[in-house]
This record gives sequence, structure tokens and C-alpha cells, in this order.
Amino acid sequence: MKVFRDLLRDYRFMWSFGVLCALLFVSFLTIFAPDDPTLWGVVPRDMKPSWSYLLGTSSKGQDVFWQAAFAVRNSLIIALIAGVVSRVIAVLVGMVAGYKRGRTDTVLMFIADCFLVIPLFLIIVMLAMLVREQMNLVTMGLLLAFFGWAWDARVIRSQILSLREREFTQTAVLSGTRTLPLVLKEYMPFSTPLVFSTLINNMSWAIGMEITLAILGLVDMDVPTLGTMLQWAISYQAMLLGYWWWILTPIALSVLLFVALYWLSVSISEYLDPRTRIQRVGA
Amino acid sequence: MRKTVFTVWLVLVVASLILAACGTPEVVEKPVEVTRIVVETQIVEGAPVEVTKVVKEVVTQEVVVTATPVPKEEAPDVLGLPRNEMFIAGQLTGRVGTPSNFNEWVGWKWRDRGMQNLANEPLWSVDFATGQIVPGLAAGDAVYNADFTEVTIPLRKGVAWDDGTPFTSADVVFTIETLIKYEGLNSHNFMVDNVVSVTAPDDYTVVFKLKQSNSRFHTTFLDRWGSTWIMPKHIFEKVADPVTFEFNPFVGTGPYKLHSFDPNGYWTIWEKRADWDKSPTGIIFGEPKPKYVVFQAFANEGAKILAQLTHSLDAVDLSAEGLKAALAQGETNRAYQPTFPWVVNNDPALTGLTFNTAKAPYDNPDVRWALLLAIDIVEYEGQAVDGTGTLSPVHVPSLGSYPADYIEPMQQWLSDFTLDLGNGETFKPYDTDAPKRLVVYVKDRGYVVSEEAVMVAKTFGLGWYKYAPDVAAKLLEKNGFSKNADGKWLLPDGTPWKVEVMSRSDMSHLEFKNAAAAVQQWKKFGIDAAHVPSDNVSALTGNGEFDVAGNWPAQEPWGAGADLYRVLDYYNSAYIEPVGTLTKAHTSRWSTPEMDDVIKRLRETDPANTAEVIAIGTEGLKLLVKEMPGIPTFGYIGFVSWDQTYWTNWPGSENPYNQPYTHWGPFKYMTPFLEPTGN
Amino acid sequence: MEFVKQYLIPRLVQYFLVMFVGITAVFILPRLAPSDPVERTITQLRSQGSYLDPGTMDEFIEDLTEMYGLGGSWLEQYGAFWQRLFHADFGVSFFQFPTPVNELIRTALPWTAALLLTTTVLSWVGGNLVGGLAGYFNRKRWSKFLDTVVMIIRPLPYYIMSFALLLLFAYVVRWFPVSGGTDIGRRAAFNWPFIKDVLRHAFLPALSLVILGGAIWFQTMKLIVQNVNAEAFVQYAKLGGVKEGRIVSRYVIRNAMLPQITGLALALGQIFSGALITEIVFSYPGLGTLLYNAIITGDYNLIMGITVISIVAITTAVLLIDLLYPLFDPRVRYA
Repeated sequence: MKVFRDLLRDYRFMWSFGVLCALLFVSFLTIFAPDDPTLWGVVPRDMKPSWSYLLGTSSKGQDVFWQAAFAVRNSLIIALIAGVVSRVIAVLVGMVAGYKRGRTDTVLMFIADCFLVIPLFLIIVMLAMLVREQMNLVTMGLLLAFFGWAWDARVIRSQILSLREREFTQTAVLSGTRTLPLVLKEYMPFSTPLVFSTLINNMSWAIGMEITLAILGLVDMDVPTLGTMLQWAISYQAMLLGYWWWILTPIALSVLLFVALYWLSVSISEYLDPRTRIQRVGA
Repeated sequence: MRKTVFTVWLVLVVASLILAACGTPEVVEKPVEVTRIVVETQIVEGAPVEVTKVVKEVVTQEVVVTATPVPKEEAPDVLGLPRNEMFIAGQLTGRVGTPSNFNEWVGWKWRDRGMQNLANEPLWSVDFATGQIVPGLAAGDAVYNADFTEVTIPLRKGVAWDDGTPFTSADVVFTIETLIKYEGLNSHNFMVDNVVSVTAPDDYTVVFKLKQSNSRFHTTFLDRWGSTWIMPKHIFEKVADPVTFEFNPFVGTGPYKLHSFDPNGYWTIWEKRADWDKSPTGIIFGEPKPKYVVFQAFANEGAKILAQLTHSLDAVDLSAEGLKAALAQGETNRAYQPTFPWVVNNDPALTGLTFNTAKAPYDNPDVRWALLLAIDIVEYEGQAVDGTGTLSPVHVPSLGSYPADYIEPMQQWLSDFTLDLGNGETFKPYDTDAPKRLVVYVKDRGYVVSEEAVMVAKTFGLGWYKYAPDVAAKLLEKNGFSKNADGKWLLPDGTPWKVEVMSRSDMSHLEFKNAAAAVQQWKKFGIDAAHVPSDNVSALTGNGEFDVAGNWPAQEPWGAGADLYRVLDYYNSAYIEPVGTLTKAHTSRWSTPEMDDVIKRLRETDPANTAEVIAIGTEGLKLLVKEMPGIPTFGYIGFVSWDQTYWTNWPGSENPYNQPYTHWGPFKYMTPFLEPTGN
Repeated sequence: MEFVKQYLIPRLVQYFLVMFVGITAVFILPRLAPSDPVERTITQLRSQGSYLDPGTMDEFIEDLTEMYGLGGSWLEQYGAFWQRLFHADFGVSFFQFPTPVNELIRTALPWTAALLLTTTVLSWVGGNLVGGLAGYFNRKRWSKFLDTVVMIIRPLPYYIMSFALLLLFAYVVRWFPVSGGTDIGRRAAFNWPFIKDVLRHAFLPALSLVILGGAIWFQTMKLIVQNVNAEAFVQYAKLGGVKEGRIVSRYVIRNAMLPQITGLALALGQIFSGALITEIVFSYPGLGTLLYNAIITGDYNLIMGITVISIVAITTAVLLIDLLYPLFDPRVRYA
């Protein structure tokens, strides 16, 4: 609790935590949504925002507010699965490879390189053609996770390689600390900011990838996500026809989501690193 | 921080508001010049030869149009070529993959970049706006002998290739012999299967002897967005391997010749020939007006619209919303029709849905009819294309001569057509009021449309089928289907009924729109329906691995003349392959012995015998209505946008002297009539 | 010597092995698709409006199969592929028959390479520099302002950002052209008008890429620098009176750059996959659309051609980084 209160003193944490809570709340609201989000023509088309339609309606005859609610929920699911799973893999692989070096390093980096090298696009398009029932959210998240860890594993590994040569490592080894506690206790504080920033990178990469795939038509266009919402608005020329509410909503939500995640990660990692915590919070 | 966030959002909002619609363009009545093309039959040397003559009548009609202000803008030159003598069109098929290769006889070479529509003259062309077959290199109709094993084609005199060499029957003979000799050429197999010999009794006549009776052999030379072209003998005879020959530059008998092209495939420039009067276009229609014609490819629709709004693109094909945006933003833009529905509605193709009749339960015509009756066509068309499509209850589109030849005479039969619901009940599904209901929808949306019977028939069709979900339910229950507690339909074996409607993934394509709309209707009806867009759809449907698809329910007809052989032969049982192998004809894999018989009889009828052709064709259409292997919804809708800053006298719906597309062959016949504005 | 034996040789073996595995994977993957290129060509031809006579379809399929070289088993095709590869010949494209793959790549590659090389380097240098300074001076107001601006720009969907740029600078103010790599009618030549034309057309695509790339480098660098800032040796240098400029450049940025160098190498390696969305929005020529169309049409040879180049580029970049890393960070040793 004290940790939480300390964190709240940072206005960035406060703001981003609030926004994320709001977004999660909106995602939960989808349970009470009045219509099936994949149905068209449930409301009059192209209406500007008003009291009955908070964010207006789209050219497909759907309420932009409810579409956005589902979009946030679905995009969050994809991004979370992709980000978290790939973080776990990246951290494990990167740390072990960086610390152990030698043959373990070579083998692990070999696997990482193989994943890096095979063009992601080719795989996804091929899979989209093989998996006829289109990809659902979880499959998409896992797919993005499997191709999102290789780069970051290498980055973490580089950092570990540097840290390994530092004095405190020698000290710890000499005093008999074993590998795992060493890695977790000594290196994590250094790596955590990096891990967090790569988590944010990865989550926003996942959302961006999802948007790109939606623009290319490789995902189930009827399932509302930030990407599919955007693509429908683009394909219906919302920008040139002046339907600003329809096209700005997914953009604004992407920005909000990202800013919230970014500030969250920055404030938490600053808190975790004792030196910056002292500088900042003064406790 | 918060201020910055707010300001950035404000900028974005303001930017999009700036671009918001400037309001609906004004609608006025004004006099319009109409160009008419008159076909005269001239007796030439003992044999009647139809010669198309041009008569430009300036008939003043009061037509309701959108007001177009006189544009005042200085024309920027394009690389030393004067802009006001240049016509820039958007290329329909996108970036050219083989920019330096113009060999149209092998594979696919993006022939709408000026090859088929400017530089090549086929023997005959289809112009679906006038319903005419225009003779190009041919001087008249193909003449068959009694049992269709020999055909004589007269050729036009006074034609030269664009490098000056005269065109003679030797070119035709050489082409056929080359096609027979080399396997890699597209028409190789067709010629080998059909032609025994080809001879030229004189410089302007060609005689084919066929291996078996084929009354439609000559249609391989009839250009309807593709045909067998004639090679220039003097160039190809020096080539070692015509399959890999690049044929750069392209040499043709059309009025334009190749000027330059982009090695990356984004533009191709054509220049008017100095001896344009030696091309059939020049001989029949006169001198083309634009000195240069450019075909340009864009990678996304927004760029196309912006290019047109900056007056660097005269004619382009868009999507429904793209056209809306172009008309809203551009003052000098106009569409094919001067007012709602704006769209090109005489493109001879019919959209709708196709069933996989090789897969249960879609092998049952009752089930197919039930799915049809579960569709509220007004809501369906509203969702798909905002009500701009022309309905057709049969498997030919309601345009050109087809309403007069087929749909109107069938009205009585359609009204009498009855479905047997099994429990002693019958139902007559035809609804002559469907177009009127569509008019109500359109007016609700705020569009202005004429309610005169003739106009309604032309714009919205002659009729469709009733929206009768209860009848559909009865048909299904007759066949063992049932509903569960949630109101969802179950198959006769008790499992939930899941329908996957496939389509290509391009959201602006009519296949996609039909599929999406169908899914909405069937979901409402209580079936677990899903729309599955896929880039692989052609292969999947070709192999029979689908339930329902947004493919055209019937093969596209010619668009000129009454012959429906092209449509009906696609249901020939000889072409059907087992599921898992690519089928050769219609993806519904539907056939019946009755249809095979109709096809056979049509094949044995001379295409010039219009009355007989129509009678047999009608029989075929009736069979299709009974069985419904595919649901015909509305005719193909094209969205062309024309910028009148540099060129006017477009072949719009009030002035249809030619078909409206720049990517079809007859575009070259449009060029003599386009008028420069002098900007 | 130790280094060579213990590290270099295994590393080189790994290098070639990864390339081999990657290339083989890319060989197999497209062939796993349910339909083969011949089928896809036929269906593509049909959908482009060609009327293929149903009676002669069988023979047409046979002819195509032979022309494409898909006659033999996978093993035979695999062997033939490697044989051709050693002559640097990737065969002919299926959909763009009979154009050789090399020619297609040769036309598109300069555009992609020039654009992406420039923008990657520019955004890396710019983003890191500004990010580093912002991270060091992170208490100042300009740093916080920049941070907010970048934070808003970065999550903007790339398609929207580039299209908005196009709208603003090609339509609202007509400073730049709407599409293409050059003007219509321009022939390639080594003269100033041509270069000016290319630059004019490349400006907006480059701008959009630099903005996006720069934003990412900026944020990562800022975070890293903030961390390095807190290190003991930096505090020591400040206390010791070392000039600020020197601290920033020699102490802080030089250390923070290390992880970023890995990123640069990988980014450079990925140039050869092209920038698909950029090419779509700006109708810009390049490898991205070439590759995407190849995947859609099942054009095996073209897919292989482009991805082999891409695989070689990425693995080489990673190898170089691994080998050169000790030069940048003397603390890292491989023995």
C-alpha cells in the first residue's frame, strides 16, 4: 500500500493509472453492450456525436462509442498477450545468454537469429491463408509474441554482457552468489527500465502490427479492434468526407493507450531503481 | 503537457473539418449537347457491309445536372508535354509488374495501361453503352457455313500498323499459325483444339476451317476486355521465341503509339499517331483529340482522389465512398450520372452470391431458395452500395438490351413462378414492387431521384423477390431443419448451422460488399453466419472448398447482342471437376441435364438468328431461376469520376455515345469526341 | 588466436547455419499453402477479366506447370534452386512471366535502399542525439515538452500519419507531389533535374519514416540516458569539475549508445524487406509491394529472391555487430 501511495505522488503514474483504469472500465462495459458488435445497420448512419450517440455513428450504421469499447478491449487483449509472453521469453533468453556466454549463448542466439531472420510478413500472410477461420485475438497475440522476442532478447543480452564485466559482478561471484540470485537481484534493477521500455515498445509494436494487418485485410474485419476500426474508416474515406468522429476515435484511443502505458512504465521503473527513486520522491 | 496534448488534438480536428464536405453541390437543369452515333448499312460491291458512320447531332436536352463552375487554372506542363493536350487516366489494374514487356499473347501484361484501350485494334469490340458490336480490323460480321465448320471474316482496307507497314490478311494467318506452333502462348490450346487450317484467299479476307462445329468460334476475336489479338507479322517473324519476346515498343493498329513508360510500372505515355487515319478508329470515328494519353497507377485510393483534386488526373475509377469524397471535395468533378445514383450502371456484369452446390446443404435448391427469401433486398442493397444498384431477378444484368430481350418478356412467367412449401402450401416469390421499395429507401437517405416508371425501371430494375423469412422457415422445415431454443437454425442432423461466406479481402470490391451484406441478413434470420475475406478466395472457390461466396452468380454476358451462350455455357457439366481440383467453369459446380441440352441447342443455333437465340436463352434463364445455383442481386456498379478542368463531352448517362470506362477497349473510340476546354 | 578458435569460428558457423535454416524455411513455407502458383495464376487471370476457355483448361495448366519449373518433387526443386543461387540467378517470376526475378529486384531495390538507408541513419542519429540531450537535461522544460510531443506522435498509426502528411503538403498546400517516385515522363539520368525530382518525391515518404523512427529512438535513448545519468562515474565527473559538454558526449552518450548500436544494425538489415505501408500511401516504388504481391500470388521465385537478400542482410548485420561490439564497449570480452 505504501508503495502504491509513493507511486501516486508521481503525477505521471497517477494520470496513466487513471487512464488505464478508465480504459479497462470501458472494456468491461462491453458486457452491457446493447448490440452484437459485428452487426451493421443497428443505428442510423453517419450521425455526428450527440447525446444519443456519444461519439456519433459510422457509415456502417454502428455506434462509434460501443465499437470503440470493444476495440479497446480486443486490442488490449492482443497487446497484453503479445507483450507479456514475448517479454518472458526475451528476458529469459537474453539474460541466460548474456551471462552464461559460451555454448549456451551461441545456441540461444542462433535460435533468436533464426526467428529474426524469417520475414514476419511471409509467415503471417501464409498463416492467414492456411487458417481459414481467420485468426482470433489470442492466436494473433501469440503469433506476435513469438516473433517479437528475438530483437529484445539481443538487446537485453548486450546489456548483460556489459554488466557482467563490472566490478560488482566480480564481487558477487567472489562472495559466492549463485547465478540465478545474482542475475535476479543484481542485474534486474539495471534491466528493469530496459525491460519495461521494451515491453512498451513491444505492445505498441503489436498494436501497430495489428493495424497494419487490418489495413492489408488479413484479419477478421468484423471483429472490432483499433486496427479494424481504423481501416473501415479509411476505406470509407472518412477523412475526405469529414466524418472526423469516426476516424479520430481509434487514433485518439491509440494515443491515449500508448501514453498511459509509457508513463506507467517510466514511473514504475524510476521507482524501482533506488537511485532515481531517492532523487525523485525524496523518501 | 496537457496543453500540448489538447493543442495537437485541436489541430487534427481542425484539419479534418477543413476537409469536411463543402456541402452538397447545387442541382440545376441545363441544356446538354448529346453526341449520337448512327449506324448505316452500305451496300459495298454486292455484299452488304455494315459501316458505322458518325453523325454528331447537337441535340439540346434539358437535363438535371450538378452545377459545374467554369474552372480557371493555368495548366502546368508535364515534362515539356503540354497539359492541355494530355489526357491522364488512372490505371485500373494497378502498378504494372512487367513495364518493359508488351507481349500480350503470353500471361498477363496489364493490358489496360493503353495496350487494349489505345494501341490495339481487335477484329470486333463490344460497346455495352450502345449495345453495338463495333467492327475494328474486321469489315463486317463473320460468316459461317451451314454446319459451322468454316468461317469467313472480311478485313478492313486502308489500315496500317503504327510503323507504317500495311495491315493485311497475312498478319492474321501468321498469328494463328504462331499460336498453334508455340505452347506458351495463351490462346495456343484453343487454336489447336479448333482450327484445322487458316487461309487468305486475298489480302482482305481470311477463311478458317474448324475441326468440329463451333458456332461461336469467332468470339475469340471479339474484344470484351480481352480477346485474341493480331500480331504484326513483319515484327514477329524475325523473333526466335515469341514466348519470351518483349515486344518493346508495342506496335499496333490503334490510333496511338507508345511514347514512353516508367521502368517501375507507375505510368505509361501514348502519343497520337501522325497517320491516325490509317487506324480503324480514325477511319470510322475521326481524329482523336488528345495528343498524349497517360495511364497512371496509384497504390491507394486516397492518392487517386488527391491527384484528381489537384487536377492532375482526368478520369479514374474509385470505390463508392471514394466517388462520394471526390464529388464532395472537387468542384469540377462529375460522375457518370449527373445526379443520384451517380454510378455507372451499364457495366455488363451481375453481382450476387454463389452457392457451392457440391456441398450439403447447398446442394438442395429448397435450401438455396430459403436463403434467398431470408434476404431483405432493400436493406441488403442499402448496406452494400447505399441503394445505387440495379436489381435483377435473373442471371443477366438489367441493362442494355437484356431487359427488352429477356427480363420484360419473362415478367409474366416470373410472377407465376411458384415454390412448393411441402405442406400443401405454395408461394409466389416474385415482387414487382421491390424497385419501388428501393426508391423509398433512397429518398429516406436524402437523395433526389425521379419516380417516373421508366426511370425507376432503368435505375432500380424491373423487380426482385419478396422478403419472406416465414416462407423461408417453412422451406427449411420441409427439409428437416429446425430451430433451437435460442432461435438459431440447426441442420437436419441436429448440429448448429454455420455458414461461411467467403469473398476477396478488398473492401471496396462488390464481392466483399455482397458477402458482408448477406452475412448481416442471415444473422438476422438466425443462422450463425460469418464473413470470411481471404486473398486466397479464387483458389478456394475454384476447388470447391467453400459454403457460399461473393463470386458473381453467373458468368458475365457480352453486353452487346442477344446471345447468352457465354453465360449459359459456364454451367456445362463437361467442365465440372471433382472437389479438390480447380473447376474449369462456374464455381457453383451446378449442372443439370436440362441445362446441358439448352447449351447444346444454343451452340447449334446461328448467333445471327436473334429470335431463336432469345428463345433458347430464356429457357436457360428459367432453369436458373428454378434452381438458383447463385443469387443474383444487382448489376455491377462502376464508380468513375471525371474532372472537367481540361476535357469535356464525357459519355455520361445523358450522353451515352460510348461506354464510360477508360480501361475498356472502346476508350479509343471515345478519344475523337472528347473536347479540350482550352485551359 | 584464442579468440579466433573459441569465438570467431563458432560464430561464423552459426552465421552460415542461420542463413541456411532461414532460406530453407522460406523455401518450404510458401509451398505449404493450400493452392499452388499455377492455380493462383489462373484464378488471377480470371479475376483480371480474362476469359479462359474452359475446354482447354487442362492443357493450359500443364503448360504453366512446365513453364514455372514446378514439375519435379520438392527435393528436385530445392536442388535446382541452390544450383541457380550459386550463379546468383533466382529464376523467373511466375506472375510477371517471363521477367527474371533479378531484373524485378534490380529495378525496385535502389528506391528502397536509398530511401530506407537515408531515413534509418537520419532517424537514428537525430533521435539518439536529441533523446540523449533530452535525457541528460531531463529537468528542463524543453525536454519535458519534447517528451510529450514525441509521446503523442509515436502511437499515431503510421498509415494515418503519412496520409495526413500527404493531405497537408500535397493538397492543402501544394508543395509536394501526390504520388510516385518521379514525375510522369521523367527518364532516369544523372543530371540535376532528375535528382531534384527524386528528392522532391522522396521528401514526404522520408519525412514520415524519419518521424516515426526518430520518435522511437528518441524515447529509448532518453530512458537509457536517464539511467546512465544516475551512475556513480557521472556524478563523480560532475563533482570533479569536468566540463558539461564533455560529460554529455564522452561519458553519458557514449555509454548509452551501446544498446542502440545493436538496434541500428538490425534496422539496417531489415531495409531489404521494404516499407510496405510507405509504398502504399505514397505510391512509391520499392521492394515492399513487390514482396507482398509475390506472397499473394504465390510467386515462389520472387519470394525467394527478395527474402534471401533480406536474410543475408540481417544475418550479416548481426554478425558485424557481434564482432565489432568489443570495439565500442571495451568492457566486453569474448575470450
